[in-house]
Amino acid sequence: MLMCRDLAGIASDYIDGELGFGKSLSIKVHLMMCKDCRSFIGNLRMSARLMQGHSSARVDGDVIDRIQDRVTAALEERKPPNNPGQ
Amino acid sequence: MSTPNALDEQNLIEALKRGDQSAFEQAVSEHTAGMMSVARFYVDPSSAEEVVQDCWVTVIEAIQRFEGRSSLKTWLHRIVANRCKNRLRTSNREINTDFSEALEPELDNRFKPSGRWATPPRLRFDESADALMENGALSDCLDKHLGQLPETQRSALILYEAHQHKSEDVCNILDVSASNLRVMLHRARQKIFLMVETFQETGEC
Repeated sequence: MLMCRDLAGIASDYIDGELGFGKSLSIKVHLMMCKDCRSFIGNLRMSARLMQGHSSARVDGDVIDRIQDRVTAALEERKPPNNPGQ
Repeated sequence: MSTPNALDEQNLIEALKRGDQSAFEQAVSEHTAGMMSVARFYVDPSSAEEVVQDCWVTVIEAIQRFEGRSSLKTWLHRIVANRCKNRLRTSNREINTDFSEALEPELDNRFKPSGRWATPPRLRFDESADALMENGALSDCLDKHLGQLPETQRSALILYEAHQHKSEDVCNILDVSASNLRVMLHRARQKIFLMVETFQETGEC
């Protein structure tokens, strides 16, 4: 029988649809009877969504500026030299 | 991050192939954050920027060979991952990973020996995730806790959740098995949940 602790261990797999039919069904049955686990699944789902909306991968503008400068310099180096005679 | 004049992906790729400087500016501002997340999975933070800079210089030429079999984002992330792996091979540095238990110890302690909850979740979400994130203090707290996650978990979480990569792509980019990725994601989400629960109850981060 699936206990609350077992469910907590595979809750992310359930949320992401990574479980097989049987396991997923046993979680659904457990959730029908267990308010605390329903709450936990809801909490974990919201935690995942917090990350989705969060610009967690932000980097400093200084880093972007340094990279832009280096890319610009590399692009300049690739340009053929100007030939005003043509 | 995109601006009203931003090119869509197909036009951006074509402009990159022409060596268009404004296209590179757009690509750098849109994709550097994700590339840094990949680099930080493999190398220390001080080396990550150097790796990503080198990758962008490589991209100037390599974009000619991009055939569109994956998204530009996935292609760029793979370039970073490959460069990091080469660097690790030459330095013999090992990646520190913890793929042991599925449950965070702090959460595991909240169950009775019978396997039922002893201390059930106390968090109540009355608002959407977007509304919650408008709380600046909570957003700062999330930043702080993300910064404290092991690099492996943070990178997996950011690539999967924030950058919306498929599991298969994250495994490929980070060179981890599907089961290890599942554990990393689950452990990271539990930490976020525990953090938000404490924040909501105490107002403290």
